[in-house]
Amino acid sequence: MIAVRDLEKEYHVGDHVIHALRGITLDIAAREFVTVVGPSGSGKSTFMHILGCLDRPTRGHYLLDSRDVSNLPADELARVRNETIGFVFQGFNLLARASALENVELPLLYTRGGALRAAERRDRARRALAIVGLSDREEHHPNQLSGGQQQRVAIARALVNHPKLLLADEPTGNLDTDTSHEVMEVFARLRDAHGLTLLVITHERDIAAWGTRTIDFKDGRVNLDREGERVAAPTTCAS
Amino acid sequence: MRIVTRLRGVHPSVAIAVNALTRNRLQTGLTLLGIAVGVATVLTMLAVGAGAQRSIEQQVRAAGLNQITVTAGNWKPKVDDTGAAVAHQADARRLLAAPRPRRVLLPQVVDDIVLASHPEDDPMEKHDHPLAWQRLGDLEAGLGAAATLTFADAEAIRRLDGVQYVACGVHANARVFHDDKRWFTRMHGTDRQLLDIKRTWTLKHGRFFSDGEQDDAEQVMVLGQVVAEKLFGAIDPVGQTITLWKQPFRIVGVVTSASWVVRPAPGDDEFDAVYMPYTTTHRLLNLSKLNDITVTAASTGEVSALSKRIAALLRQRHGITDTQPDDFTIATQATRAITTGGLPPNVAAAIAGNVRELERVTLEQLAGTLERASRTMRWLLAAVAAVSLLVGGIGIMNITLLSVTERTREIGLRLAVGARARDVMRQFLIEATAISLAGGIVGIVAGIVTSLTISSTLQWATVVTPGAVLIAFGVAAAVGVFFGWYPARRAASLDPIAALRYE
Ligand SMILES: Nc1ncnc2c1ncn2[C@@H]1O[C@H](COP(=O)(O)OP(=O)(O)OP(=O)(O)O)[C@@H](O)[C@H]1O
Ligand SMILES: [Mg+2]
Repeated sequence: MIAVRDLEKEYHVGDHVIHALRGITLDIAAREFVTVVGPSGSGKSTFMHILGCLDRPTRGHYLLDSRDVSNLPADELARVRNETIGFVFQGFNLLARASALENVELPLLYTRGGALRAAERRDRARRALAIVGLSDREEHHPNQLSGGQQQRVAIARALVNHPKLLLADEPTGNLDTDTSHEVMEVFARLRDAHGLTLLVITHERDIAAWGTRTIDFKDGRVNLDREGERVAAPTTCAS
Repeated sequence: MRIVTRLRGVHPSVAIAVNALTRNRLQTGLTLLGIAVGVATVLTMLAVGAGAQRSIEQQVRAAGLNQITVTAGNWKPKVDDTGAAVAHQADARRLLAAPRPRRVLLPQVVDDIVLASHPEDDPMEKHDHPLAWQRLGDLEAGLGAAATLTFADAEAIRRLDGVQYVACGVHANARVFHDDKRWFTRMHGTDRQLLDIKRTWTLKHGRFFSDGEQDDAEQVMVLGQVVAEKLFGAIDPVGQTITLWKQPFRIVGVVTSASWVVRPAPGDDEFDAVYMPYTTTHRLLNLSKLNDITVTAASTGEVSALSKRIAALLRQRHGITDTQPDDFTIATQATRAITTGGLPPNVAAAIAGNVRELERVTLEQLAGTLERASRTMRWLLAAVAAVSLLVGGIGIMNITLLSVTERTREIGLRLAVGARARDVMRQFLIEATAISLAGGIVGIVAGIVTSLTISSTLQWATVVTPGAVLIAFGVAAAVGVFFGWYPARRAASLDPIAALRYE
C-alpha cells in the first residue's frame, strides 16, 4: 500500500535549515493499523502530511499503491487526497455553520468531474454517518455535539468518499480517555469491516496500543518499529 | 445551516457563497449598497442617453422628417444645363408652349421665375370656388394652388408600399365667430389621419372628428388651442357652436402641442387654425380638388424612395409624358430644410436631388442640439457611477479578503479533502460576484425608479431599454470579478498545511 524510500524533508527558516525528516524508509501493507508515537518535534506530523499528499518531500520517494506521488502537480495531489485518502485532525475542523450531514458531504463537492448530485451526496453522507453511529445527529450543528461526536462526524467525513488510507493526527488529543477509546474503537472497526489502512499519530501509550504496529519517531528518524497483535484491551483502561 | 439547506437545489459553490455572505451582514449590506448606487447610476445614465435619443427621434419625426407633402402645381425652381435656376411651372410651360387662343391670361414673370396664375384667374379652368365664396359671402378667403390633385390621387398614394398615413388637405383663410368674438385664422379641410401624422399633437379637449363625420361631411370642427383661447378663454368649448362662412359648426375637440419644442402661437398655422373634414369643405365650397396631400413614410429612411414612387405614380395618373415637367410639387422635410437653409437654390436642388437618404443628414443636425444637452448630464452620471462602483468594488475586495482570512482553516480543510486551487478560487469569485450581482439587482430596480422619477419631475425623457439593464447587470458582474480576483487568488494560493494550522 505504502512504500517510502529515503524520505527527507527540510524546512528553511531564514538561514536555518530544519531537518524535519532525515531519511525514512518503510512499507505499510494494506489493512495495517499503524500508530505513530514519538516526542514533540520528531517529525510525525510532517511524515503524515507527506503520506497524505498535503506536502511533498524534499528528497526521496513515496509510492502510494505502487504509484510515485512524491512529485505530482498540485491538482493531481488534490485528486489523490480526494479519492484515496481520508484525514482526521486533532481539532476536528468541522464547519461550524453547517450540519453534521453537510460537513460529511464536503469531500463530495470536489469529486472528479464536478460535485455529485445533491441527492447522492446526501445519501452517501447518511451512510457514512451511520457507520460512525451518528444517524440520529444528522441535522445537529457542531456546537450541538460532544467532542467525541464531533470527532466521529470528522471520521465520517474522512470515510465518505471511500478512501483506502485513513490518516489521523492526534485524533484523541482533545478528548477524554473514555471518548478517546471510543474513537479508537471506531477506527479498529473500520479496518476490520471496510479493510482500511490506518495511520494514527498519538502521544498516549494506551492509544498507541490499538495499533497492529507502532512506529516510534525520534529526531526525524524511525527509532523503533514494533509489530504485533493489539496490546491493550480497549475498555479495561479507564474503567 | 438553514440557508444552505434551503439552497440545496442550486450549485453547492453558490450555496456556500451565500452562506458565507450572511456572516458579515453589515459589511455585506454596506458593500451591496455601494454597488447598488453605482449600478443604479449606470442604468440612469443609459436611460437618460436613450431618452435623449428617443426624444431626438420624436422631435425629428414631429418636425416631419418622415413626412412628404404633395402640393398641387409646380413652383419649384429647377436647374438647367447651364446651372441657372429657371422656372418650371407645369401650367406655365403648357401655356407658353402651346397657347390656346382663348386663354387670355399670361403667367406673371418675375425675374426668370415664371409663376403660375391662380386657377381662379383662369376663366377656362373649371372652377366653382368664386361662386362658392360669393354664395358663402366671405370675400377674404381664398384657395391658392393649381387644381391638379384629386381625392383619387390620394387614394392611389394610400395603396403604395411604405406609406403610413395619408391626409388630404384643402386650406383657406377663415374668419370664425362665436357670439360677439371673431378671429381671423386658417381653415384646414383635412383627413381623420392627420392626428396620426402630427405626432406632437395632443387633444386638450374632446376628440378629433370621426370616420363617420368625415364620410357624411358633417359640420364638425376641431379648434387649435390658440383659436379656442381667443374665442372661449379657458372654458372647454367642446359641444359649443362656432360660425364659419355663415354656417354653424359643432366643436368636437381642441388640439394642442405635446412637444416642449413647439408651443402654440398665434399665426403658427397649426394651433392658430381650425380643422374640419375635407369632405365638409368640399361640400360647402362645392370643390372637388385638393390643395395638397400629406403622406408619412412608414420608415424615416424610406422618404426619398417613397417620394420618387409618389412622383412616378402621379405622373402616370396625370398622363404626363417624359418630356413634360410635373404638375405637382413633392417636398420632404429634408429638402425643405436644405432649400430654406441659405444655400443657393441650384446647389440646394442639386443636393436634394442627388443625396440619397438626405433625411439622415438633417436628422443628425437636429440631433446635435439635444445630444449636447444630454451629454452634460450623462458625464455627470458617469462620474457618479465610476466613483460609487470604485467604492463598491473596494468594499467587495475588502469583504472578500476578510472572508478569506476568517476562513483560512476552512480553506485548508477544503484543500485537504480534495479541493483544487481553482475550486477555491472559483468559490471566492462567486462570493465576490454574488455581492455585486445582488447589488446589481437592487441597483437596477433603483435605477428604473430613478429614471422614472427624472422623467416625471424633470420632464427629461428617459428610456430604460432591456439592453441597458443587461449592461448594468454586466457592469455589476464585472466589478465583482475584477475586485474579487485578488482575494480569490490569495485564497487559492494558500498552502493546505499552513491554512489548517492557521489560528
Ligand atoms: N512549516 C514549517 N516550517 C518550519 N519548520 C517546521 C514547519 N513544520 C514543522 N517544522 C519543524 O519540523 C519539525 C517536525 O515537526 P512536526 O510537526 O512534524 O513534529 P511532530 O512530531 O508532529 O510534533 P508534535 O508531536 O508536537 O505534533 C519541528 O522541529 C518543527 O519545528
Ligand atoms: Mg504533530
